[in-house]
Amino acid sequence: MKTEFIPVDDSNALASARQPTGVHPALPSAQEKCVFGIRIGAIGFLVSPSIYCEVLDKTPVNPLPNTAPWLSGLVNLRGNLVPVFDLHVVLSEEVVNPKNRRLFVLGRGDDAAAVWIDGLPVIKSSGLFQTETDLSALPIIQRRFVMGGYEQDGQIWFNINFEDLFKALGHQHVLGDSLA
Amino acid sequence: MTGFTSTLSAIPWAPDPVSLLEHLADQSAKEGRFGLQDANLILAEAVRELRLDQDFDVGGGMAPMLAAWSDLVEKYRSDCRQATKAIIDYLRRPELKIPLAEDEFSDLELQLCAHADAEIRPLPAVTGPEFSEYLSPVAQEIIALLLLQCQRIRSSLRDIAKDENGSVRGGLRQAEEDLERFFNAANTAGLTGLAQICAHVTANVGRLLEQSDSLTDAHLELLLGWLDQAQAYLPACNEADAGQLLVAGLADPQWPLPMPFEAVAEILRKIRSEGATVINDPAPVRPETAAEADVSLDLPSDVNPELLDLLLQELPLHTQQFSEAVQHLQAGGGEDDVNIAQRAAHTLKGSANTVGVKGIAVLTHHLEDILIACAREQKLPGRALGNALINAADCLEGMSEALLGLGAPPPDAKAVLQAILDWANRIDQDGLPASSGEEPLAEASTVSADPAAVIDKTETQSAAVRVAAGQIEKLFRLSGESIILNGQAQESARRLRRQAQTMRMQFTMLRQLGEELERLIDLKDLTGRAAVAADAGFDALEMDQYNELHTVSRRMAEAALDAREIGQDIDQELDQLGAVLEDQQLYAVDAQETIMQTRLAPVALIAPRLQRGLRQTCRLTGKACDLILTGENLLIDGDLLNTLVDPLLHIIRNAVDHGIENAEDRAVSGKPSTGQLAIDFVQEGHTLLLRCRDDGRGLDHAAIRAAAEKRGILAPGQPLAEAELQRLILRPNFSTRTVTTQTSGRGVGMDAVYARIVALGGTMALASETGRGMTIELRVPLPLSLTHALLVNVGRFRVAIAGKGIAQIHHRGDCERIVEEHEDRIVLGGKSYPATRLDRLLHIPEQRTQARPHGAVLLVEYEEKATAVLVDSIIDTMDVVIKGMGTYIGKIPGFIGATILGDGAVTAVLDLPELLRAPVRPIEAVALASIVREEADSVLPTILVVDDSLSQRRALEQLLVDAGYKVRAARDGIEAVELLPQVNPQLVLTDLEMPRMNGIELTAHIRNQPGQTRLPVIMITSRTTQKHRQMAEEAGIDAYLAKPVRDDDLLDKIMNLLPENT
Repeated sequence: MKTEFIPVDDSNALASARQPTGVHPALPSAQEKCVFGIRIGAIGFLVSPSIYCEVLDKTPVNPLPNTAPWLSGLVNLRGNLVPVFDLHVVLSEEVVNPKNRRLFVLGRGDDAAAVWIDGLPVIKSSGLFQTETDLSALPIIQRRFVMGGYEQDGQIWFNINFEDLFKALGHQHVLGDSLA
Repeated sequence: MTGFTSTLSAIPWAPDPVSLLEHLADQSAKEGRFGLQDANLILAEAVRELRLDQDFDVGGGMAPMLAAWSDLVEKYRSDCRQATKAIIDYLRRPELKIPLAEDEFSDLELQLCAHADAEIRPLPAVTGPEFSEYLSPVAQEIIALLLLQCQRIRSSLRDIAKDENGSVRGGLRQAEEDLERFFNAANTAGLTGLAQICAHVTANVGRLLEQSDSLTDAHLELLLGWLDQAQAYLPACNEADAGQLLVAGLADPQWPLPMPFEAVAEILRKIRSEGATVINDPAPVRPETAAEADVSLDLPSDVNPELLDLLLQELPLHTQQFSEAVQHLQAGGGEDDVNIAQRAAHTLKGSANTVGVKGIAVLTHHLEDILIACAREQKLPGRALGNALINAADCLEGMSEALLGLGAPPPDAKAVLQAILDWANRIDQDGLPASSGEEPLAEASTVSADPAAVIDKTETQSAAVRVAAGQIEKLFRLSGESIILNGQAQESARRLRRQAQTMRMQFTMLRQLGEELERLIDLKDLTGRAAVAADAGFDALEMDQYNELHTVSRRMAEAALDAREIGQDIDQELDQLGAVLEDQQLYAVDAQETIMQTRLAPVALIAPRLQRGLRQTCRLTGKACDLILTGENLLIDGDLLNTLVDPLLHIIRNAVDHGIENAEDRAVSGKPSTGQLAIDFVQEGHTLLLRCRDDGRGLDHAAIRAAAEKRGILAPGQPLAEAELQRLILRPNFSTRTVTTQTSGRGVGMDAVYARIVALGGTMALASETGRGMTIELRVPLPLSLTHALLVNVGRFRVAIAGKGIAQIHHRGDCERIVEEHEDRIVLGGKSYPATRLDRLLHIPEQRTQARPHGAVLLVEYEEKATAVLVDSIIDTMDVVIKGMGTYIGKIPGFIGATILGDGAVTAVLDLPELLRAPVRPIEAVALASIVREEADSVLPTILVVDDSLSQRRALEQLLVDAGYKVRAARDGIEAVELLPQVNPQLVLTDLEMPRMNGIELTAHIRNQPGQTRLPVIMITSRTTQKHRQMAEEAGIDAYLAKPVRDDDLLDKIMNLLPENT
């Protein structure tokens, strides 16, 4: 298993080290010097550098039987079991090049979750972002979890509440026949 | 001294005899007549008691007696010796009922006589009162005692006859002893400067004692002069320059040990600083109004962690002790319960003060005062006071749980404290009330809690250490990792053994090849040997002839032999390694089980919370009900226990509100007036069974059917089995009530219970008997951390099947498959069982291109049934560590968790009984859109709570969640504005004063947002002025509530403001 760590701005390194293990705190704000950008299909998402994250390459994902199609399975990340969500399925995005897909892990320990991304994360300077986009045209699934959108050079980058999204995707209930 | 009057008529400002006597006491003290002071105080107390005796005529009988007393006091002033006996005889009068023992009368007589023997010097004239007007009565009492001690020392010195050595030594020795007592008393009073001087004077007396022959009049004058100064200093010890009197003369060279000037200056500084702070501490006045700060559970920033740990260990015990004692009192307990409760309150007060938890310290302080009053007046609390004490006990338990992190701070803490303050102030003024209008007070009887049993509970508590839950989790995880790594090491050892075996086989082959080669070489040799042998003089048979080939082949054979021996050594090493790894695994498993034990908690831990919930519900509904718990000693996982509290509280509330009848209806049914609710905790293997039974009216099937038809769940007249009808109450928002109350009616009770139990992987069964009651049975799997599992192939997956429920494992050849009434069955040992396939249970598509028998059959027993489950093949059996799948993956039906195998792969761990009991649907049935609809389906109203105080937010959240609302919280107006579009609440509860954006600004913002102009907003604030209220109303709030707010009032207001369709 190969792990690539995204270099962070030094001034945020200590803050990153001290962040809690979950993905909840600190959505990117205009005050932050830089943010990470990840692509899922044609859609870009922003990730605050204050969130602990890592990229896994060629890591086996162990599938689970009879689970939702967007739950690819679990990875063994240094003894922790990390769920892998396939947001391509959620967003109905095509996987352009399966060999170019990597796992992007957000959070640590029990609060970690991974998503398939295309390519490697990029570092965006939030100071360059210009206007917010109109979210009403987005599919409902995106609207519910997206906090805002930014446009840069024709590419839309969304601010997303990953924690709520993962919770919603991971807590799907499958009812038994006893309570129809 | 002039101006001393003692007749009633001469003191128009003191018509009351008690006040007169107290005034006489004060006057006596000022004159240094402490025996007379005591006599006046004793008589004043006796008169006060006589007043309470309705048979005694205070006006008619007392006046002549007091007149006689004042004459005695006058006589004492002129002739102490003669009047002393008369005073004592007066106080012995039976009609005064003064409860002094004989030795106490003797002491008083001695005191009166001591003054008679002393030469009284007029005190130096001072302006103003003798006692500093800033000295509290407590301080005055301390000083009076010190002055008395001065008199005793003076008496010892004045008795010295200088010409008689014996008298000198005796007098000085007595004076030395009295000075030591004075020293101790001064230290106890905090007058360390005075004590230091006293020690210096004592040292001088000691020196004089050593040189008793050289005692002079000058020495005696110095000592007596110093006593005069002490007597002048004490009454005004807190005044600016009072200390100067005391240190004057200490440096006189005539002292055997004169004090150096530096020491004099230092002592003077100390005296000045002590006088202003130590004694001048007025007795605390009890407040009349409870403040928010008085119920704060915030810890000081410099809290001592060890003391805090100690407090957190003791809190549950002492709060429970207090609660039990007051409950016993309410149930007819006695004086012992008062004492137990007072001791518990005292302990809690002390501990809380030490750590700095003001909320507990203040409440227990006033509770203790009330209980002390009960003990002093030998009265038991009436019903009203008893209820207040029980509320306070509940509040203390709630505070204890909040500090332990088990719940929010009690929201009604301030109201409870106010009630206790009201009682304490009332008792201060008027004493304990009579029982008029209430049930007769119980006589102080022997019917009480067994103090020995309560004490035993405290004494048997063994030494314990508090460890953070996170540390235990970490240890648990590390032990789990250790077991997993051990498993991986064992797997590696197994592979090594296999490789060693292969290597041995290779070496064997090599050896065989070597032997073969030798034979070939020998053979070749024989054909060419004759020509060589004739030249050497030996026959080929007489001497072996070797060449290089021989050597090499021999060496190869030897090398193969050596390698075989090495291989055997490796085998031995691997055997030893295997044994070590097995031992290590045993230790690792032991360690994990031991750590697991730390997570276990007795069911009794949640008993007080359940009892409290019952009491609250009974209060709200006006019904009486007892809760009986069995299995309290059962140890189960602490997290699971805490998770079960909410569902059990819901069940209790529903049972009391819906099931238990009121007293009249119960009487008509011939049932006891108090309802019975029993909860049994039983462990059955790996399952926890909770059986909740009530003796109420049972489910109203007609009402359930009517509600179901009204909601469209059932068609009118549609037949439905009774069991299915009962299970309708588990549906979200299902209620048979037409009117919602705070206890129920919103339909969020049983469905919440069901959802919680299902989330835990458990089941819920209902059984109701009309008119006799209902039984709810919850079965919850106990958390497993380690289990023996079968590793099997199913389709393209590899899964681990936990051993739970697997009764037998059979090879496919052992069983016969049959079809009976279109149902697949397996015949095993002559018995036929229903059969299913694991891939069908998991909805895994059939991967086989052609049908072939499954490799193994597992016979699974559950709920008194057995089913045969066919699996493709069993790969291995092993002990697996069950790990969670992270925060984001909810409970997957049929899955216990997941595990990491020896090769690092991750596999699911299945629970076959659960899969068979509650078959899952294929996942394709769950559409993505259902995730978005999830929240829309739930019609629970959402309330946004906005408050910058964390404790207030938590308290409101707890209250509203318990009442069945969904709650989101924000710290201030800005955060609320950000949350509003996401959360879309049905109501906003906001504080007024908050940083960044206050409640008024938030309300104004809401009113300006399209779509939110009609969103109800309730403001809760401590600001009660009309100005604030007007501003809030102008901003557009719908309700303005001033703190403290009663829970009932707040919930009523919310219900009234919510739109009707919520």
